[in-house]
Amino acid sequence: MRSLLFTLSLLCFASQTSLSWKKEEFRSCDQTPFCKRARSRSPGACSLIATDVTIADGDLVAKLTPKDNDDQINPLVLSLSVYGDGIVRLRIDEDHSLNPPKKRFRVPDVVVPELEEKKIRLEKFATENDPPSSVVYVSDGYEAVVRHEPFEVYVRERSGDRRRVVSLNSHGLFDFEQLGKKGEGDDWEEKFRTHTDSRPFGSQSISFDVSFYESSFVYGIPEHATSFALKPTKGPGVEESAEPYRLFNLDVFEYEHESPFGLYGSIPFMVSHGGTGKSSGFFWLNAAEMQIDVLAEGWDAESGGGESRIDTLWMSEAGIVDTFFFAGPEPKDVVRQYASVTGTSAMPQLFATGYHQCRWNYKDEEDVAQVDSKFDEHDIPYDVLWLDIEHTDGKRYFTWDSALFPNPEEMQKKLDAKGRRMVTIVDPHIKRDDSYFLHKEATEMGYYVKDSSGKDFDGWCWPGSSSYIDMLSPEIREWWGGRFSYKNYVGSTPSLYIWNDMNEPSVFNGPEVTMPRDALHVGGVEHREVHNAYGYYFHMATSDGLVMRGEGKDRPFVLSRAIFPGTQRYGAIWTGDNTAEWEHLRVSIPMLLTLGLTGITFSGADIGGFFGNPEPELLVRWYQVGAYYPFFRGHAHHDTKRREPWLFGERNTELMRDAIHTRYTLLPYFYTLFREANVTGVPVLRPLWMEFPQDEATFSNDEAFMVGNGLLVQGVYTKGTTHASVYLPGKESWYDLRNGKTYVGGKTHKMDAPEESIPAFQRAGTIIPRKDRFRRSSFQMDNDPYTLVIALNSSQEADGELYIDDGKSFEFKRGAYIHRRFVFSNGVLTSKNVAPPEASLSSQCLIDRIILLGHSSGPNSALVEPLNQKAEIEMGPLRMGGLVASSGTNVLTIRKPGVRVDQDWTIKIL
Amino acid sequence: MRVLLSFLLLLFLVLASSAIRSSSSPVTDPFLGISPQDEKYYKSSSEIKCKDGSKRFTRAQLNDDFCDCADGTDEPGTSACPNGKFHCRNAGHSPLVLFSSRVNDGICDCCDGSDEYDGKVACSNTCWEAGKAARENLKKKIQTYNQGVVIRRKEIEQAKVGLDKDEAELKKLKIEQKILKGLVQQLKDRKEQIEKIEEKERLEKEKEEKERKEAEEAAQPGKGDGEEKTDGNEKVEGSTDGGEMPGVSQDDEILDENEHHDETGRYKDLDTDEESAAEAEPTSVLEEGTHNNPADQHVVETKEESPSSEDLIITAGSQHDGSTKKEESDEVKKEEDIVSEKKEALSKEELGRLVASRWTGENSDKPSEADDSPKADEHENLEHTPTSPQEVEEDDGFVSDGDEETGDDGKYSDREPEDDTYEEEYRHDSTSSYKSDAEDDLDLSETTSSPTWLEKIQKTVKNILQAVNLFQTTPVDKSEADRVRKEYDESSSKLKKIQSRVSSLEKKLKQDFGPEKEFYSFHGRCFESKQGKYTYKVCAYKEATQEEGYSKTQLGGWEKFENSYQFMTYTNGDKCWNGPDRSLKIKLRCGLKNELMDVDEPSRCEYAAVLSTPARCLEDKLKELQEKLEKLMNQDQPQKHDEL
Repeated sequence: MRSLLFTLSLLCFASQTSLSWKKEEFRSCDQTPFCKRARSRSPGACSLIATDVTIADGDLVAKLTPKDNDDQINPLVLSLSVYGDGIVRLRIDEDHSLNPPKKRFRVPDVVVPELEEKKIRLEKFATENDPPSSVVYVSDGYEAVVRHEPFEVYVRERSGDRRRVVSLNSHGLFDFEQLGKKGEGDDWEEKFRTHTDSRPFGSQSISFDVSFYESSFVYGIPEHATSFALKPTKGPGVEESAEPYRLFNLDVFEYEHESPFGLYGSIPFMVSHGGTGKSSGFFWLNAAEMQIDVLAEGWDAESGGGESRIDTLWMSEAGIVDTFFFAGPEPKDVVRQYASVTGTSAMPQLFATGYHQCRWNYKDEEDVAQVDSKFDEHDIPYDVLWLDIEHTDGKRYFTWDSALFPNPEEMQKKLDAKGRRMVTIVDPHIKRDDSYFLHKEATEMGYYVKDSSGKDFDGWCWPGSSSYIDMLSPEIREWWGGRFSYKNYVGSTPSLYIWNDMNEPSVFNGPEVTMPRDALHVGGVEHREVHNAYGYYFHMATSDGLVMRGEGKDRPFVLSRAIFPGTQRYGAIWTGDNTAEWEHLRVSIPMLLTLGLTGITFSGADIGGFFGNPEPELLVRWYQVGAYYPFFRGHAHHDTKRREPWLFGERNTELMRDAIHTRYTLLPYFYTLFREANVTGVPVLRPLWMEFPQDEATFSNDEAFMVGNGLLVQGVYTKGTTHASVYLPGKESWYDLRNGKTYVGGKTHKMDAPEESIPAFQRAGTIIPRKDRFRRSSFQMDNDPYTLVIALNSSQEADGELYIDDGKSFEFKRGAYIHRRFVFSNGVLTSKNVAPPEASLSSQCLIDRIILLGHSSGPNSALVEPLNQKAEIEMGPLRMGGLVASSGTNVLTIRKPGVRVDQDWTIKIL
Repeated sequence: MRVLLSFLLLLFLVLASSAIRSSSSPVTDPFLGISPQDEKYYKSSSEIKCKDGSKRFTRAQLNDDFCDCADGTDEPGTSACPNGKFHCRNAGHSPLVLFSSRVNDGICDCCDGSDEYDGKVACSNTCWEAGKAARENLKKKIQTYNQGVVIRRKEIEQAKVGLDKDEAELKKLKIEQKILKGLVQQLKDRKEQIEKIEEKERLEKEKEEKERKEAEEAAQPGKGDGEEKTDGNEKVEGSTDGGEMPGVSQDDEILDENEHHDETGRYKDLDTDEESAAEAEPTSVLEEGTHNNPADQHVVETKEESPSSEDLIITAGSQHDGSTKKEESDEVKKEEDIVSEKKEALSKEELGRLVASRWTGENSDKPSEADDSPKADEHENLEHTPTSPQEVEEDDGFVSDGDEETGDDGKYSDREPEDDTYEEEYRHDSTSSYKSDAEDDLDLSETTSSPTWLEKIQKTVKNILQAVNLFQTTPVDKSEADRVRKEYDESSSKLKKIQSRVSSLEKKLKQDFGPEKEFYSFHGRCFESKQGKYTYKVCAYKEATQEEGYSKTQLGGWEKFENSYQFMTYTNGDKCWNGPDRSLKIKLRCGLKNELMDVDEPSRCEYAAVLSTPARCLEDKLKELQEKLEKLMNQDQPQKHDEL
């Protein structure tokens, strides 16, 4: 009988693992009362009107009451603030002076403090009568309007036709459920499968419609594995059963590659773009579960169509209305405006921009040494080796398995001696084991999230029975950060960095594999209100902990799986547990484009796919695309075969090595782009339309992408393909990265896509800095000379930038950096300083090779000033080393101009 | 004044340009990084060709820290060309060729330090020490090879002897088989004849009986016909059993059946004890295996024993496989339902385990220690292979070498001269290497000890047939009939043994023993290695397993040698959850004894191990090593950092 039971359990188990995503384990909109209610509401249902409009404390404030307030419903308080550069903030909450049952949750620590400095204190507003509205100044180009009856808020252009940009409640779908006091017999519970949500304050959801004008498409609201341009989810032509885009941080086992389903992260920020080349954005700062419908044209028969407007419906389970309207008008303006609210992405250390090698799990110190030495044996550079959960003593984070990793410090030092770092995993679930110091301390200090009855919440995760640190509290975050000191984290060294996984949070036995919504955080905040931000606070605490560890001198590196607005300030993220399938390779690009557009530029997908075994061709193609991911890491599930780059025969090793070399060659360019993102919020990986806003052919293209403004890359996403169709936008030419071949812009080209590389092009008019020497890791490249590749446009001009700092400390914030601008014009290349005059960093590095693409041949020397030296010009290889050089493409090359990278100089072609 | 100024300017320029050069310090030796064999290529002319033919470069461009040739020809001594190679001479040790990426990267790669010359790090010359150590290692290795080659040669000789013997035996057995077959047929005919007569007698007797009974019944009515029934039963038994042996006639099987019924006593008058041991159940085979007289052992295989246990395993394995697949295809849907139904009723903890198991592939029903490595769990969960009789055999079946003649014991230990205690030790520890195949150890000792056995039988049979021939008329003499039966049983069982021995020999001779048959001694042997809680056991030409306590996982069945006998592979082992069928790849390397080590699971359920064995101590390789050592010994002592 026992054996029968045993067999039966094996059976269950086998079938369990052979199936992928279990749809029924997650709530659909229909099973989510607030979503179902909001979706069934008719346009114009909102009867709220704005009254008592006035200016208070620099904001425009008003009350929102039902037109015929027979039910004596409490009025809501509306306040509208304006910030420089075209940002309008609209907040709507319950009136605290009327003593609601409790204060609704306002998400703290997301909006950057610097935003306040940009606030434009309103002193007056204008009034319009048709219809009755209050108007405030936003910028020279825009103004914000509050229409009174029915209430509506929008941003419009100030001149010309005063065209609308973004609006809220134009279709009267606004609804705000106020907190209740539970009375006798009130049954507010919600059941889902075996779980019951006690919902002590009843329904408290909020929903409204948002419209984007002059828009062809809307984008954003990650994280979903779906197309970049968001498809409509409701309305004419859309299936009745279609789900809205869900924003609810979830640990989804084997997610699908084409689904609006909620994944690990949530960023309620949407960007629109249209044929006029203009973009606008809308952001709702809210950490509760959200569902967003993109409404198909004609969904609201009443409102008429034809004005290329996109309407959307936003629904959230709790929280307040705290929304931002971004006026644009350029795509880059919108992302900059968003970044000025939630922050720009942190400047990574140089090593973090190199290649990362991960696997669940590198088993022991010998395995680590073996893998490390194999990279050297095959001359493949890499910067970081990762250890997954098995390195710990029984999934107790901050510990080491004493049998497998007896000498962790020595192991790290060995890697460090080659300039390589290590990353270990630290998750937020703490093993409930009285002999575990962390659990003891967290219990004694009361640092765990509580269940609805007030006891420490007890859920199931890797270690078994676990509790979760309450990361909402700044005090607890500070304590958590202290765990990373070298003293507290025994076995850690300065070359060790951290990976935060499972921070949605993942709770294996919780509703939808996460924490119950009625669990309690500090200050009586319900988990439902803070859910989507939990992982963000965890990421923040860890990242701040690493800063503390390094006494403020070492930039942290923390990879997180959960995402929320602001995550970009704390580290990198990856797209979670993808699968070794071609379609997962394909969907990685729209996913990363979306993340970049919404601030999280330092992102990547697991190379090769986490689950399953990629065939060699897929793995090679994945490395070729992945070399351009901002975060470049190979990772694999423990059931998969080993897949380090040298395990698939010599040819495949060569191909993968070349892909990784390509990345290392471009590191100076990537690092410069990371700095640009750090300053402006403009992502490293960009949709084509961000660089070519007018080119409508690019609007829904999510197979190709830009790296900065200078490179266009198109992945190969199908098996056995040796040809590709690539659309190259704009009017200028493009130069093939492999051979310098020229392609005209504004056209789809059919071309070879041989196994050696995927199509990649440098845009005419740009200058890209490279480092052509290969090393063991980025660390050894420090002193290597630079190559500049100048791709001339039709006017024989080009420009580009190079940013250099020490690659690790925060000294760059005090001006210790080099920022050069290279301009080629009238046959002269000039290096100009664009750093502020006080910025200072010197470098001995030379530029020893300058390649001119699109220059007529003929000149054979150049004059270098101020050295007054001549440099030879000859034909040289376009790409150094690797596979492509052997094809022998020679291009115009200035040989050893001998100029330093930190100095002003000119080089004149003679 | 003007002169001074221009001098200053010049000075400035010189300084400036030297400052520029400072970041990539110039190569002092223009031929740095070039191997001695290659120097001619570079020195022959002032214009040098890129080796790929793409370009030419001047002597000044050689090692000027700027890459001109895509293949790296012009920069053998710098890091400028990504495809370049740097040659360090490492006087006192062996030369080394580095990727150019290692030149001036701050890490000392060459023991002579020649790869780091930009002044950022100071590398001390460690070549002599390193070289000494390497030479010592090489010497040791050569020593091992020297001895190993001898052992290997002996093994090859023994293999030849063994193979010849196997072949001779096979030939002889085939003849015997043929003769015996004839005898058995004769006996069978006679037996049937007798039985016919007996049947006739019986029927007559029955008839009489019946008539008598009827007469009695007339007087005493109501009794059944029980006797007839009993008779019928016997017949049924005789004809329904058996059927597992191809090539053995139905009648033989019936006899076989009888044999089972009446085992003891049947062999009373057989010549040797060994024979009876060989005929008995596996336990007695074990005794046979351990008994310490390797003399006159000639092994036979009895089909009802080892082969059937082997069959059992194969069948069990395939059944397991089949059912797994079936589970996956047919029952997934059903199970899914069960799971989701079940989930509703799961406790919180069970639910947690279940969800966790998706990622880990662990059994979610496991009651505790969620933190155990998935590997461990899976073994705990999967080890349900029944302990087969064969396993028991292997565990105790230490036999030096079944086919060795008397006195070979000494010879055997000669083969392991480096460690006389080795055999002893391992016999007792039951570790590394031993005989596994009980089937081969079964003894047909009489085939060698009394070569006239066949004649004896022939004679006996002749006698019997003649004797019985006298009784042409009924009634049959009871004792003579029994004698025929007995002789038939014995002969046919002997035939069976010979047949199975023949097929086992044929199978053995088909195996790949290597180009020089150096792996002959592997046949029927197992090698063991204990690692942590697991015991790994590799049986050549058979299977590889991982054992923990009483549970056993098959890592694979014997597949073949690979890469010109550098590897042994085992494939299609027990299935892994979420993984491939288990497999094992063993790297073979020269060693003085057969020793299994370094068992590892680099990828899920794909195992790797190393087996040291004299069989891999190749003479060519020894020569190569000797030449290498000679070269090293003839090398000059390093002049102190001459390259620096």
